[in-house]
Amino acid sequence: MTRLARRALLGGLAATFATAGCSRSVRDARGRVRLRFWYSLGGRNREVLLAMVKRFHETQDEIVVEPVYQGDYFESLAKLRTAVAAKAAPALSHVVAEVVPYLARANALEPLDAYPGMNERELGLVGALAQSGAFRGGKEKPLYGIPLNRSTPLAYCNGEVFAKEGMKPPSTWTEVLEVARALTVPGVRWGHEVPISWWFWVALVGQAGGTVFDEDGRPTLGGEAGEKALRFWQDLVHRERVMRPPPGRDYDAWNVTNQDFLAGKAAYVWTSTAYLRYLEDNARFPVVAAPLPRDVRTSVPTGGTFFVVVKQAPDEEKAAAARFLRFVCAPEQATLLATRTGYLPITEGAVGRMRADGFFAKHPNDEVAQAQLASVDPWPWEPMLFRIERDVVDPKLEEAVLLDRDAKSVLDGARTMAARPG
Amino acid sequence: MKRPALPAMIAGSIAAAVWVLPYAWMVSTSLKPLDEIVADPTAPFPHRPQLEAYREVFAQVPVGRQMLVSFAMAVTIGLLQIALALPAGYALAKLRFVGRKVAFAIVVACLLVPAQVTFVSVFLMFSKVGLTNTFGALVLPFAASALGTFLVRQALMSVPDEIVEAARLDGASELTIIYRILGPLLTPTLVSIFLVSFVFHYSDYFWPLVMTTDDTVRTLPLGVALLKEPGSGVRWHVIMAGNVLLSLPVLGLFALAQKHLVRGIAGR
Amino acid sequence: MKPRAKLHPWLMLGPSLATWALFVFLPLGITALQSLFAWDMLTDAEFVGVANYAALAEGGELFRVLGRTLGFSVLVVAGAMTLGLSLALLLDRPGRFFGFVRGAVFSAYVVSWVAVALLWVLLLDPDRGVAASVVRAIGLGRVGFLTSPSSALPTLAGVTVWKITGYAMVVFLAGLRSVPKALHEAAALDGAGALARFRYVTWPALRPTAAFVATTSLIVSFQAFDVVRIMTQGGPAKATTLFVYAIYEQVFLNLSVGRASALAVVYFVVLSLLAVLQLRAFRAQGRGA
Repeated sequence: MTRLARRALLGGLAATFATAGCSRSVRDARGRVRLRFWYSLGGRNREVLLAMVKRFHETQDEIVVEPVYQGDYFESLAKLRTAVAAKAAPALSHVVAEVVPYLARANALEPLDAYPGMNERELGLVGALAQSGAFRGGKEKPLYGIPLNRSTPLAYCNGEVFAKEGMKPPSTWTEVLEVARALTVPGVRWGHEVPISWWFWVALVGQAGGTVFDEDGRPTLGGEAGEKALRFWQDLVHRERVMRPPPGRDYDAWNVTNQDFLAGKAAYVWTSTAYLRYLEDNARFPVVAAPLPRDVRTSVPTGGTFFVVVKQAPDEEKAAAARFLRFVCAPEQATLLATRTGYLPITEGAVGRMRADGFFAKHPNDEVAQAQLASVDPWPWEPMLFRIERDVVDPKLEEAVLLDRDAKSVLDGARTMAARPG
Repeated sequence: MKRPALPAMIAGSIAAAVWVLPYAWMVSTSLKPLDEIVADPTAPFPHRPQLEAYREVFAQVPVGRQMLVSFAMAVTIGLLQIALALPAGYALAKLRFVGRKVAFAIVVACLLVPAQVTFVSVFLMFSKVGLTNTFGALVLPFAASALGTFLVRQALMSVPDEIVEAARLDGASELTIIYRILGPLLTPTLVSIFLVSFVFHYSDYFWPLVMTTDDTVRTLPLGVALLKEPGSGVRWHVIMAGNVLLSLPVLGLFALAQKHLVRGIAGR
Repeated sequence: MKPRAKLHPWLMLGPSLATWALFVFLPLGITALQSLFAWDMLTDAEFVGVANYAALAEGGELFRVLGRTLGFSVLVVAGAMTLGLSLALLLDRPGRFFGFVRGAVFSAYVVSWVAVALLWVLLLDPDRGVAASVVRAIGLGRVGFLTSPSSALPTLAGVTVWKITGYAMVVFLAGLRSVPKALHEAAALDGAGALARFRYVTWPALRPTAAFVATTSLIVSFQAFDVVRIMTQGGPAKATTLFVYAIYEQVFLNLSVGRASALAVVYFVVLSLLAVLQLRAFRAQGRGA
């Protein structure tokens, strides 16, 4: 026992120190550049992403992509940031759009303009989905992100239920209330369901005519429009009792919304264009997509993620990342991603190809999503944007809707918190 | 003095139900296809048992590798802790020296400081020397166990001094005394310390979560936790299959070594 | 005994002390220091004095987290001790049946928190879970165990109790078995019934054991993290954001190292105070009896 213990002790120490000093080599045994890629897509989206990686390996022999799954968007982002702090970050990853300004200011991202072929015009990126269209002032900044899986909120109607009740998809807030009232059957079905989250609240704020940040970059959180948006939800949930706020944190709530819709327990839901294919494939009734309604105007934010390249990675890896990104933006790949997943096509080339192939004719719901791009409102290029979303607004939204707190005081509290330095 | 057996039998049966049925449920769910789970969530047995879930777990998670890492990590920590606790406990139990009280106070103080208070600084320390995401980061912080030292000291205090004195007269070095003479005497205590430590660290989720950044030294609890994916429907059968794989080794160890584990916990 | 060489004790304690110095006390000090700065790991740190503590106190966040954690601890300690002691008393019988039951109860302690958390998330799922079906069958309607802000924390406490009761039971069993039979017999001869025997013979003898179980349950409940992370991620509406999870959130999700360090310092102080208080309380009870 004791001899064993001593030997094991020495062995253990040796092992720990052996692996400790090992630094990672940039090239593999065949001399290919190893491109580390941290991603956070699951299910079918992951399959398509990995299929693209496989295609990339088939078309060239200088770069091998090493994809590692890291959990959902937020977990993945947390790991990426701490990896950057620990100087152990991968060269390539993808992050939610709202956090790009923060990472850029923190000097964590590599500007891509200098790499061959890396500019939005040459890549043919769709304006509303690329950095220049997704952010106010995004065009003036160096190119930090290439859209990967981009989406907008979308309304989905249970075609069977709507037809039976003779209802049409609502196009104004008032109509949403009417439809929800008509379609709610207590104990059996909810008229409306939408995850209580920042993204959809921002859509409502835009529709009510407000913006989250004013022109001077102050977080006004929509002013009165913000309160109106919040009260809209509160009334639907607590006064009218026609809306179910799905339980769970972050994507658990989105999951519940999807499952309720598929099970026929919610007739009219808001979720992402990203789930279009999934919902269509798994519903036992016709799925009718509709644009979000207007209040004083139409408005949707963009969502999903941007590919980003990490500045501290070795130069060879960064160049490899840029090459991989060019590959992903090529028409074949962009089309593959859009048609197989339901994320919006990110290049004009892909859109054109899909139209020529009759894709939109066969998939009218995708056409709806595509047409809604005209109502996209860009994000402000504010480093604080993400922190305000996660740290300030999201928790308060949950609180306000679930516990029916006074909208104005909740948002006032949020504004004070937002104004404090991080 | 016969105590009535009926309340005990009832209590025992209820306890058995509350503590065994969840596992049974776990295994049963892991053998069901997904549509069965969705359609009839409360059915106790699968109509069409299948191993599809397990296949998926093995496809998504490098189970073998992560289990190996978990094992290696837990074993290394256990052995390191014993190796360090023996001399430390010996010094505290058998030797008189200036500062002994202070040293003992330090041991007790360590019991109070949980990993959650220190992890940020340790993470940053490791990242400064490039040791995050390594096996060392998982093992080194736990090389010394305050509890283990405490238990060794306690056990040694009931070992008569004469043994040590005799060994010294025979010319044995202190190291020999500690590891070759006293060590074997303390085998039950050491085995218990090892098992308690192994069980804790094998299943540890927090520390590896914080210290690892990718798959290199990812442990099995992390891998299984990642099976819970966002968005397109939670796949319970896959998650439960992962759970079964995660729990089997520890339950097996438990079945074999229950007595020693209990002794380690109860301190007797 | 005298050490053979003056340096020996320090050489023997050396590796352990070095490990603790490096991985316990030094980080503790660094954490205390970091609590005075605002830092997000990506940019430079900025000295802010007690601003982090002030921000935590002002928003009420600190007190809420503290309140939740204390409430959670009370539930867990009370639950584990009551159940542990009851099971120890009831199941302390020979025979394979009781041996099996004791083993089953204790096995939950051995399995990982991840497995327990994932398992109970399934069992408590309002739509697909067995627990929900049972409750519906009883007629209590739809209970959102983990999804309703009011029941989420007690539910987590319940899961925690489920896991650690086996531990409490085992310790109490060892304590019970160390009560000399002679005392029981003497009390029985004096005409004391089972309840009186427990109160005057068993419990006083068990007090140090109870103190031990209470203190370790307190520490375990204060350190609760895995259940929160896997089952509720701190929600709904922050109802289950316990201390350790709050620290984790500040570091990894908000990247606010200073804020996290301030929380960690408060956490450590509170835990130490509670542990000392609890031990004192049990010892005082013992002396007074």
